[in-house]
Amino acid sequence: MRDIAIHIENLNVSYKELSAYSIKRMFLKGGKKKDKSFHALKNVSLDIKKGEILGIIGKNGSGKSTLLNTVAGIFAPDSGTIDLNGKKVSLLSIGVGFQKDMSGRENIVLNGLLLGFSEEEIREKMPDIIEFSELGSFIDKPVKTYSKGMYSKLAFSITAFLETDIILIDEVLSVGDEHFKKKSSAKMKELISDKNRTVLIVSHSISTLRKLCTKMLWLHDGKIKMLGDTNEVLTAYEQYM
Amino acid sequence: MIKFFSDIKKYASYIFYSAKAELKSEVANSILNWIWWILEPLCFMGIYAFVFTIFFKGKVKYIAAFIFLGITVWEFFNVMLKTSVKLVRSNKPIVSKVYVPKYILIVEKILRNGFKTMISFLIVFVLMFIYRVPLSWQMLWAIPILVSFIIFTFGACSILLHFGVYVEDLANFTNIALRLLFYATGVFYNLADKITGELGYWIVRLNPLALYLNCMRESLLYGTMPNLPWLGIWTVFGILMCFVGIKLIQKNENSYVKVL
Repeated sequence: MRDIAIHIENLNVSYKELSAYSIKRMFLKGGKKKDKSFHALKNVSLDIKKGEILGIIGKNGSGKSTLLNTVAGIFAPDSGTIDLNGKKVSLLSIGVGFQKDMSGRENIVLNGLLLGFSEEEIREKMPDIIEFSELGSFIDKPVKTYSKGMYSKLAFSITAFLETDIILIDEVLSVGDEHFKKKSSAKMKELISDKNRTVLIVSHSISTLRKLCTKMLWLHDGKIKMLGDTNEVLTAYEQYM
Repeated sequence: MIKFFSDIKKYASYIFYSAKAELKSEVANSILNWIWWILEPLCFMGIYAFVFTIFFKGKVKYIAAFIFLGITVWEFFNVMLKTSVKLVRSNKPIVSKVYVPKYILIVEKILRNGFKTMISFLIVFVLMFIYRVPLSWQMLWAIPILVSFIIFTFGACSILLHFGVYVEDLANFTNIALRLLFYATGVFYNLADKITGELGYWIVRLNPLALYLNCMRESLLYGTMPNLPWLGIWTVFGILMCFVGIKLIQKNENSYVKVL
């Protein structure tokens, strides 16, 4: 049996009683405002093998992004566990975290350091990242001067070249203009198909998922509705929708 | 606590790089910017020294160094607290994409502001040289005072960081509290001259900022022994706050993003 890359057990994530309250409101209305609890993931258990490409589908608000965020360690589960066996994980989603006042080059280093790479490793990959991002001289300009396209190109290049063991992709399979779209989707395929890498993809594009994924997870209202062969799950999902 | 120190070690290169890049981005637009780091506090000092010597007839020895030291110590604390309340919110693009222990963000800010504070201290030393303040062994007390002050600041910041996430208007509240504290600290005047009697005695002890500032002035400018018992009390209290703050952050940090 191949080893398990991600082990998820009885995962529960909710957004209850967590919205911020204010001192002003406390004085004016007396007491906290009522919070609605929202249970985003309910008892999700799942094993993902090393090298697997898991697609995640489901309608809006079904808990797809919450699942990715929790695997990335950004959200804390209310109960249950996620075991990554100490692997590096990166989350690629629209609008990656940049410090707007700093240059693209500095942001590459900062992102890399946060992902757990050493400064030398990052310097080594720097030329590739810069070249792939096609930013040219803009790489030394503050990120706040970038256009949306440049922004996402840089974000994509960072994740693509600072390769982590586990990659989580949230709705971004192609970015930038036509030319960059082709280039990035080719690079993405190369990344995804690496046998040592585990990938989780959230997408609404059924045709893309069918092409890429080796396994499919269908989330519905925070629960696993179906898990298994890509084609089977996608066909069932299409019929349901 | 062990996790705290191993995190500091693990993220050390991030802390250094980020602080450096932030300072650099501040001066990126013009060379004049870094001159402003010196010029701005110097001008403020000039204004206050003028106001307080002319209008209030202060009889403080080494008035410029006295005031400048006050501004230096106060500004560090002031800026650190104001940033910490909003720290998670202002780092939203990062904390919502990748896990980073949230107190790392405070340490980074301490380093960044600490650099500017060091420049200010250099100016203090220059002023002391101009005034020909006599050298004394008591000056060495400045080092433990500074360490205790940083511990205290970190403790306060870590607790504020936590509650700043959940309480929307904590920033407004902090600003008001800081303003009150400011006048009770004696940045521009000697508290002992202004408030006499029982109240004055307690204010310079129960207000940690006034205590730190007084100790600093006593050791650096006047060559006298700082108030060690009270310094000890506030150091212990600072360490306690660090414990509470770090625990709070470790327990809750992964829920912060859900609130933002």
